[in-house]
Amino acid sequence: MKLKTLAIGVALSLMSSGAYAACSFENTTPIKSLSAGFEAWKSVTDAMAECGNFEAELDQEFRTKQPSALAANPALYQIGGVSNGTVTPLLNEGLIRPLDDLIAEHGQGLSENQMIKIDGKTMAVAMMVNTQHLMYRKDIFDEVGIEVPKTWDEVIAAAQKIEEAGVVEYPLGATMKSGWNLAQDFNNMFLGYGGSFVNDDSTPNVNSEVGVKALETMKKLTQFMDPEYLVSDSTYVQQQFQQGKIAMANLWASRAGAMDDESESQVVGKVHAAAAPLAMEGGAPATTLWWDGMVIAKNITDEEAEAAMKLIVEGLDTEMVKANNDDAIWLIPGYEPSRLAEGAIATVNASPAPASYPSTSQMGLMHTALGNELPAFFTGERDAKATLEAVEAAYVTAAKEAGVLE
Amino acid sequence: MVTPKALRQPMSLRFGSAAFLAAWCFIAAFPIFWIAVMSFKTPVDAFAANPLDVVFGPETRARGNGLSVIDILAGLAMLFLAARLAMRWLPRMVARYSPPGLSVVGWIIGSLAFGIGFIVVFFVILPPILDVVNGMTGPLGAPVIGLTAEHYEAVWVENDFWRNFVNSLIVTTGVVTVSLTVGTLAGYGLARSGSTLAFWILIVALIFRALPHSVLVAGYLPVFINSAEMLRPILGENAPTLYGQPLAVIAVLVSINQPFTIWMLRSFFQNIPAELDEAARVDGCTHFQAFRWVIMPVMWPGVITTGLFSFLLAYNDFLVTSLLLDAQNQTMVPAIAGYFNRETTTTDQVEAVAAAVSITAPLFLLVMVFQRQIVSGLTAGAVKG
Amino acid sequence: MKFRTFAAFVGPSIFLMVLFIAAPLVTVFLQSFQLNQPIVERVEVETCTPGFPAQKCVTEVKTQPLLDENGNVRTTSTWVGFESYANVLQLDRVAEAISDGRPGRILTIDFWKALRFTLTFTLVTLPLVIGVGLAIALAVNNLTRALRGQIIFVSLLPFIITPVIGALSIRWLFIGDGILTSLLESWLDRDISMFAQGWTIEAMMLFYRVWHVAPFAFVVFYAGLQTVNQDTLESAIIDGASRWERLRYVIIPHLMPLIVFIALIHLMDAYRAFEEVVGFSSQAHRITLQWLTYDYLTPDDSGNRSISRASASAMLTMVGIVILLIPLLRRSWRDHRGG
Repeated sequence: MKLKTLAIGVALSLMSSGAYAACSFENTTPIKSLSAGFEAWKSVTDAMAECGNFEAELDQEFRTKQPSALAANPALYQIGGVSNGTVTPLLNEGLIRPLDDLIAEHGQGLSENQMIKIDGKTMAVAMMVNTQHLMYRKDIFDEVGIEVPKTWDEVIAAAQKIEEAGVVEYPLGATMKSGWNLAQDFNNMFLGYGGSFVNDDSTPNVNSEVGVKALETMKKLTQFMDPEYLVSDSTYVQQQFQQGKIAMANLWASRAGAMDDESESQVVGKVHAAAAPLAMEGGAPATTLWWDGMVIAKNITDEEAEAAMKLIVEGLDTEMVKANNDDAIWLIPGYEPSRLAEGAIATVNASPAPASYPSTSQMGLMHTALGNELPAFFTGERDAKATLEAVEAAYVTAAKEAGVLE
Repeated sequence: MVTPKALRQPMSLRFGSAAFLAAWCFIAAFPIFWIAVMSFKTPVDAFAANPLDVVFGPETRARGNGLSVIDILAGLAMLFLAARLAMRWLPRMVARYSPPGLSVVGWIIGSLAFGIGFIVVFFVILPPILDVVNGMTGPLGAPVIGLTAEHYEAVWVENDFWRNFVNSLIVTTGVVTVSLTVGTLAGYGLARSGSTLAFWILIVALIFRALPHSVLVAGYLPVFINSAEMLRPILGENAPTLYGQPLAVIAVLVSINQPFTIWMLRSFFQNIPAELDEAARVDGCTHFQAFRWVIMPVMWPGVITTGLFSFLLAYNDFLVTSLLLDAQNQTMVPAIAGYFNRETTTTDQVEAVAAAVSITAPLFLLVMVFQRQIVSGLTAGAVKG
Repeated sequence: MKFRTFAAFVGPSIFLMVLFIAAPLVTVFLQSFQLNQPIVERVEVETCTPGFPAQKCVTEVKTQPLLDENGNVRTTSTWVGFESYANVLQLDRVAEAISDGRPGRILTIDFWKALRFTLTFTLVTLPLVIGVGLAIALAVNNLTRALRGQIIFVSLLPFIITPVIGALSIRWLFIGDGILTSLLESWLDRDISMFAQGWTIEAMMLFYRVWHVAPFAFVVFYAGLQTVNQDTLESAIIDGASRWERLRYVIIPHLMPLIVFIALIHLMDAYRAFEEVVGFSSQAHRITLQWLTYDYLTPDDSGNRSISRASASAMLTMVGIVILLIPLLRRSWRDHRGG
């Protein structure tokens, strides 16, 4: 019975608490941060905590809490963890401060590429990028004798061949859980076909030929998937890969590391990555680019802001990246891309390159409308045209309520 | 006592009812048993499609973690012994050693002591003994079932889950105490007042109970976060930020639970004959004195049952605690939900299962200990519609 | 009891309920008739984001709220009457569906879809919970005393377990190649996907709810069975009543107040079902009214939330539950007048 390790572990942790590891300075101003809770955030906030007087909250409700917590005076958190999506409400409501002075003074270790500049002012410091790109089982592709697909049409052809060969349960996996994930998959495809979600006057523009094409391509793909695709989120697709049930999927770069995790995966070393497929010839890869990074609240003292900046610089240093190289596609000097990072890098460097996720109020409303209305198309309750009409109607109602549309 | 012939049941009925119960118990326990099994396996085994793989955990065993036949037998014997102790011996000891009128305190101390004792014997004393025995017995001592406690270790040691445990303890204790104090008074008042006002209070409370919680909770968040600013004109510089405070969450949970509490306790008090306190009043007691000296000594069965429901609500709450508490004061259920965010891995999921099983254990103990009180409390009339 | 004494006893409880339930409820009520909007302007913004090797900058026209001199967002609030209710109910689309002769279309509108499922969910589980609870209670009461303790303990497990975890534990048995799905597949010799179509998910959600609540009904009924008047039972036996007749004419009437109590609690809880949708990720196929409200309230990435529609849908949920409760409330009123 190995349960005794548990007891020993408890004893050890009680003894070793309170030890400070390597940090170049000692922080004396109490600082708190609020961010999402995935692995990269754990690594970064742990590195920041080494300096003392720092508390990190990795909270899955951060999206709900962040705007009001930073709006309080004084703000309840000095540092916020954001992505290009969640930074929008903070920018809109003027809750975060420009960082240029602080970076000039303390940010020597940061690279120019990390600065998120809005109208020339640095409002956030990015730490990593993320994107959805193709991951595939190289062994299966070699066995069946197919090339890595460059477009979604080729993906369908490849899936057909894999299905005929019968080497794997389902040729394809996809993050199509109804709601946010499904809408995001549609966004990828829609942008891949060169669509734009809203017109200049904020009226919706998805009920178009491009929208129908995107939906039809997605529908074609679903026949090669596990029929439960409407509940499959990234973790589920990752598990399907790890258990050898699927041969390829357009999956988040941040998930790539898990494919080679020996304690979870039965396909260690077999999964390779490539750029996200194109929806149409000559277009950009059908995906969006995301970044994650940190911001500093406006409603705090300058002293706190300075301490927060020093902590951020410490958390994003080369030492942290070296220790956690495979947690993310880091933007920080010292990062060494692994085999599985190739897909993300090929996607970002494609020409024409995919767009950043268009983070605007309108896009937020559109994303929600898509997430709620698209499932009816995949369950067969509505055809593509009627679904897109419903999406536009839902968007218009929400946009009027939010005041972005007359 | 000899059963009258007419009451004796035909074989078919007895058999049918026993078979039905067996089937029900299987359905009731199986999902919980299954997540308990999953929590001890490596992720590959835990989510395997073949049930035998999940039970025997070949992957887990291959990594050198397992249980031998002797371990299993010893463990089962220990569990059986513990269950018997909890049901037979513990009530007796509590009854003997707790001061009269304070049996609740006795129960709390008794169950805590029992829980800690169980953990020490099962996880600290037993393993080294079994290691020695396994080494001596050869083939019987070789592992047959793959089993690993690494996820429990990850949850409790690396992820500081004990903090969440302490927070849960604070919140639940607070909710049960305040809820019962406030609720008993109100329940008694409502039971003894036949006025139409009392009736309407009960009806409104009933409608309050039907409200969807998500609406209420979303309304609290901005107020709680800005409470320092809002209260400053009244309270000066000491105005507190309510967000993240266990006390504020206790108040919210108590209020949300008040309708149910006062309904239960009112019907319980209605079953205590009004003559009892009227006699005391004739002797010159005020209502409060009558309540203190006549009602309080006889109300414990109903209060314990109601308290148990308050406990379940506070312990299991997710909506309120996840939104209104910060990480330092996070209770266990939202902490578990944190394992299921957008960026979870399979290991995280098994850790979540381990955490889920861990938080179910105290509930097990609670029901084991209080089972009789629940039934007797309900029998005594805590529910009469 | 004098009013002042009554007030002293009830006061603290009322105070808490008014502060934490009634006050938010009034706000919700008012918000459902109001629309709070930021005043927005359209500005051209240049945004530079990371790229390999160099940054990429794009210039877009963005809609931003205007800030006042204190840095707060300037908002206007207008009274809009029943507009938010209309947005939730979408009566024009309902009318359109009916006039097109395709009433099935109504169920593609979120609110009606949620209402349909919530009502089915509530009304189907109600008799099941009472029936299963009663059956277990009778069977346990039939058992030798030595075994009762253990059986009661096992039976209570589904009730005490944390709801989210209970739902997940059942989900894991079925999702993908979960062990029960695999078992069914090998038994029926065909490919089964429990999460691929609405009705299987609905069945699992119903099963979960009955599994979770029946123990509560059981323990209440079991307690009730302990107080059945033995004299009445014996005289029924002497009168030659069969086992079934004794159940029908003695035991059930005795348990009637408890059955009403369970029905009341269950109606309220099932009508605001929420955990099932999250636990079984059934959003694509089945949603409930509370989930709809929750969904309106959850901010998207850009921080938008539909407070007004959420308030309207919450008020509609409440109206629904009051309607469902009316028969039971009338019974309480008669008892009150009579007693």
